[in-house]
Amino acid sequence: MTALAPSPRAFADRGSGVVLEASAVSLHAGGAARQRRLFARLDLRVAAGDRWVVVGPNGAGKSSLLAALAGVFPIASGSVRVDGIDLAAWAPSALAARRAWSPQFWSDPFPATVRETAALAHRRDAGWRGALDARDDAEVERVLGLLLLAALADSDVQTLSGGERQRVALATALLQDAPLLLLDEPASHLDLAHQRLLVELLLRHADEGGAVVTSLHDLDLAWDLASHVVLLDGRGGAVAGRRDDVLVADRLGAVFGVAIEAIDLGGARRFVVAPDDPVTEAR
Amino acid sequence: MTPPRALVLAVAAALLACIVGVLAGSSGFGLASADIMTSIRVPRVLAGFGAGAALAVSGALMQLLTRNALADPYVLGVAGGAAVGALGAILVAAAAGMQLSEWGVAGGAAIGAAAASALLFGLLWRRLASTATSSGGDGAAALLLVGVMIGSGCSALVSLILTLADEGQLRGMVFWLLGDLNGATHWEIVWIALALALAAVWPSARELDWLARGDAWAATLGVAVGRRRRTVLLAASLATGAAVATAGTIGFVGLVVPHALRRLGVRAAPLLLPASAIAGGAFVVAVDAVARTIVAPLQLPVGVLAAAVGVPTFIAMLLAQPARGR
Repeated sequence: MTALAPSPRAFADRGSGVVLEASAVSLHAGGAARQRRLFARLDLRVAAGDRWVVVGPNGAGKSSLLAALAGVFPIASGSVRVDGIDLAAWAPSALAARRAWSPQFWSDPFPATVRETAALAHRRDAGWRGALDARDDAEVERVLGLLLLAALADSDVQTLSGGERQRVALATALLQDAPLLLLDEPASHLDLAHQRLLVELLLRHADEGGAVVTSLHDLDLAWDLASHVVLLDGRGGAVAGRRDDVLVADRLGAVFGVAIEAIDLGGARRFVVAPDDPVTEAR
Repeated sequence: MTPPRALVLAVAAALLACIVGVLAGSSGFGLASADIMTSIRVPRVLAGFGAGAALAVSGALMQLLTRNALADPYVLGVAGGAAVGALGAILVAAAAGMQLSEWGVAGGAAIGAAAASALLFGLLWRRLASTATSSGGDGAAALLLVGVMIGSGCSALVSLILTLADEGQLRGMVFWLLGDLNGATHWEIVWIALALALAAVWPSARELDWLARGDAWAATLGVAVGRRRRTVLLAASLATGAAVATAGTIGFVGLVVPHALRRLGVRAAPLLLPASAIAGGAFVVAVDAVARTIVAPLQLPVGVLAAAVGVPTFIAMLLAQPARGR
């Protein structure tokens, strides 16, 4: 839908190979050991160019997994490494240059323009000047343009619609200039066209040598974006693997407790809920 | 308005306010004898500026820390503690048959403020370090609620003291509570407190903007969330305590000055904090100049006039069409 201008950013030169590695990671709800276990012993290796999509029912632990990979959710057991270094061993500000995490919810307590919000984490080394120079930063303008936010650049974020705010959040994450993006439900509130824009941008981010781990609810969108999928079943089980092996109708149907059929549409898999089947209780 | 232009405007306003403040006196407008200038007017302007600046900076810090545009320096309960200390000192001194010097009242206020801060920190020390995964977090809410509770307890004590006080003491007490620069000559302490507070928070002010968007998000950007929050709270308590000990509980400055600056386009904390200091100081000096000349030789408490000028201005700003960007 949009002609994307070539990007000056490329992450390939910033090191190759594994970007993110999780070994035998177990999480508990709320990060507390006495709470129910979300899933146990999950392994995944995210390499440059990969797009990992986390799929699963509400409360299965998608957001917790993303936060744990970002280092802001306690891990019950296992380890997470970025560029081969354990999260705990990273200098926090150095890690911020390697991975950006975008939460599901943002607080906007004070008036701020779209441009100011998008540039929040941009040029972190510039100190107080970094907060001032957003208004004439070509990189900020470029990313706002990519997300079709240029016309809204001077609007107050408090006046935006949900989908517009969502795109600003993506702009903030992109402007953090980190190769690894951990995005929690970046497609929520987005209309169809902007969902396609999101997929297009993330595919390109991976093409440039970056990597993406993101949770999505739309299975078709997940198919179009993913190279790999983590499927959390909400009952303590987790499967991680290549997209074609994990996004399978039977498996998805069992996890979500509805009858799901896969349709081949020009080489892409599309998932539909069979209309006649009553909702089966999965547990 | 661009942030630099707003900053220039604030500095110009501050200079103007100080000139007017030095020239205005209960004996009329203009230069007074050198003695009056150096021993009364200049110290009073400096005390007013320092107190206003400290309150506005503290207000900006509290708003950022609690993610609440309606927070002010007094939500901490520190001012309530100062009031209990100051009024308690007046009461105890009178009971002992002593005439309390101005330093005695300020000392009582400082002790009260420190005690309230210590209570706040003691109750919240662990809570402040928690990084909730949801960006809302509950550290901010707990801080607000505990601060409000300490403040409520203190205001009950203040009421008790006012009930116990005799007629002669009441007037001084009420003036102190309203915020009064009359006879304020010790301006150094609030300036030192202001400098310390700014030195503690300004170098990493950008982190405050990140914290306002969410604790966990700020943590992913490398912010040591617990340490930063404690530093900010300590700086705000110090600034508030010193301001209140110097000039009483002047209301309104800490709430409205940062708020107004944001509406003028000064949003980023690295700019907002110094701008708040300059504008807050200018505001109190200007209002105090009016307070002591408008019904001269009578002097009005500066807090009364601050509210009288500020409240309508603020409501008008709120009701004006929200500025859609700049």
